[in-house]
Amino acid sequence: MPTEAIDPPGISWLRVSPRYLTARLLGWGAETVLVTAALAVPLALVLAGAWRWPPLWFAVALPSAYLLLALWRLVLIPRQVRAVGYAERLDDLLIRRGILFQRTLVIPYGRMQYVDIAAGPVERALGLCTLKLHTASAGTSAVIPGLPAAEGARLREQLTARGEARLAGL
Amino acid sequence: MNGGTDNWQRVHPASPFVRGWLALAALFFFFGRDAAERLLRGGPVFDERFAGRAPWLLLGGGTMLLLVVAGFVLSWYFTRYQVAGGFVRVTTGVLVKQHRQARLDRVQAIDVVQPLLARIFGLAELRFEVADAGQSAVHLAYLRVAEARRLRAAILDAAVREVALRGAAGQGAAVPVAQGHDAQPDAQLTARPAAPPGPAAPADPPERPVLTVPPRRLAGSLLLSEQAVVLLLGAATSVLLSAFTENRSFSFYLVPAGIGILAGFWASFSKGYNFTAAASQAGIRLQYGLLDTLSQTLPPGRIQALRISQPPLWRPLGWYRIQVNVAGYGTPGQDGQRSARTTLLPVGTLQDVTALLDLVLPDGAARPGSDQSFAAEAEGPDAHAVLAAGLSGLAPAARIQARRDPAHTIGDTDGGFTTTPRRARLLAPLGWRRNGFAVTGSALLIRTGRWWRHLTVVPHGRTQSIALHQGPVARRFGVVDLVLHTTSGPVAPRVIQAGLAEGRALLLAQAARLSPNPQPAGNTAEDPQEGPQHG
Repeated sequence: MPTEAIDPPGISWLRVSPRYLTARLLGWGAETVLVTAALAVPLALVLAGAWRWPPLWFAVALPSAYLLLALWRLVLIPRQVRAVGYAERLDDLLIRRGILFQRTLVIPYGRMQYVDIAAGPVERALGLCTLKLHTASAGTSAVIPGLPAAEGARLREQLTARGEARLAGL
Repeated sequence: MNGGTDNWQRVHPASPFVRGWLALAALFFFFGRDAAERLLRGGPVFDERFAGRAPWLLLGGGTMLLLVVAGFVLSWYFTRYQVAGGFVRVTTGVLVKQHRQARLDRVQAIDVVQPLLARIFGLAELRFEVADAGQSAVHLAYLRVAEARRLRAAILDAAVREVALRGAAGQGAAVPVAQGHDAQPDAQLTARPAAPPGPAAPADPPERPVLTVPPRRLAGSLLLSEQAVVLLLGAATSVLLSAFTENRSFSFYLVPAGIGILAGFWASFSKGYNFTAAASQAGIRLQYGLLDTLSQTLPPGRIQALRISQPPLWRPLGWYRIQVNVAGYGTPGQDGQRSARTTLLPVGTLQDVTALLDLVLPDGAARPGSDQSFAAEAEGPDAHAVLAAGLSGLAPAARIQARRDPAHTIGDTDGGFTTTPRRARLLAPLGWRRNGFAVTGSALLIRTGRWWRHLTVVPHGRTQSIALHQGPVARRFGVVDLVLHTTSGPVAPRVIQAGLAEGRALLLAQAARLSPNPQPAGNTAEDPQEGPQHG
């Protein structure tokens, strides 16, 4: 299957920090361990003889199926991280993501209402932040994850200044 | 603040009773039911067993009544409003004060709502919407009808003047959007004298009636709706099942379903009854309702997106429905009133549709008060031809060029619409000749649906952002979806299954159209003025 990018050619994308991959992997690890543990509870109870109902094969299959899916996602994570990109053009900001399910988003600076920067504990430890843009539409889900903190601050200032200059209304 | 303008006013004294009639009714019901029943049976007013306690009961009931009434009076006393200095201000609350103010030039819509009880008393509620997806910014319930109309006219008049002032001051077409976020000082607004809500205030501007929906057409549209078909099919199925299985219980399932659908019919009929649309300088005015009446005013250019749709059963009769996204109205839920408010036309002919589109879309004749100086439509074909193609057009089935050259990048077209390329016909066997988009000078037109025909119109100036989407299946066929984000509402504009090249070109072209006034880069990049930081 061809994996041609859908975004218009001739745009130089800025990629997110490689450390974001670490953040995603840590998140993946925590989620996988927790969910697998939870799904393994019936197996433990069946093995201990406390439960009779789920047959052994089912109790084994449940966590292993999840684990397989999680491993598949693990394989995809580096690709996904590499696929996230953003580009500042003269009048608008482009954000792209995804390889299998691609999305390319264009937000004119004049439509931005405000810019959020958030950083969770893992991101903060890695010196990253997540930038979120809001327009008057709830459908605009414009998120740039995994920005280095300095780049996030610069982008916020830049976007705010450009948004001010081109402010358009409803 | 412009000091000294102490013209705060109160809503009508009867309003808490009209609003809280349910509480009063419940109280009377609770305390009066037993007594009334006994009276009817000819017994004493109070049960003998309670005779000794009757005074206490009366006292308790009286106290509750007094408390409720006192609460009403207090809430009335502490609810005050003011229209002055470019703002509508409302304060409410006895213990916890709430102070709301909304800028007049941000008005997205003004509704005058009259529930049945308020109508009986000649009262009306005024709702003032700003760009906020949730609840109405300002409710004034209740005012005398004449007072509500006068206030609405005053607000609209002031809003028109604000916009004109700002336009004249060189701010151009840009009317900043948010209410809470921006802290722009605006000297003109505060310096201007208060719009006097006195008897000298402007009357409603003259209206030009545009269309009315006859009750017969409304009833017909309901009879020919999908719900009616479901009802009929359900009835037929249960009758057949009952006949064949000799089991009567199937008809029981029909009763609640039928009641529900009939109630829906009644609600739709009552909401859409006597629907009239009129044009005035202040915008479009829609009025409708059988028991509860509602009068909406949408100032020019406030429609964020619009969808004309035609269910298959309406096609022989040539009827259409128009729904709109208006900032502040939000997404219609199960709430019937909201879905009525986002309906620009419940059912109408092509002529009605054209008349309304001319009014609401900036494509129409250059009307004064249109708040966007859109480029005149230079290259596009005749707007009505595009509309016809959008409503009922269908691309030819066979495209010789396209078939000969599978890598052909110029998509199939029909009446100005670029449709899904032929290579994706397996993906949309019915819709591929129908799904398409067209660009006019001021709006993007999206048509979809072979049976349920839809034509979505999104003005360029109202699109918030654009996204291209593509999943693995779409990639096999070389098509993309283009999603336009507008404020929330019933219309979700999406160009489905456009060719990859066309989609990309459209994305770039739309992005350029969304920023109609490109400024030199050096001017904007390092703007010295500090912007509001919302980090």
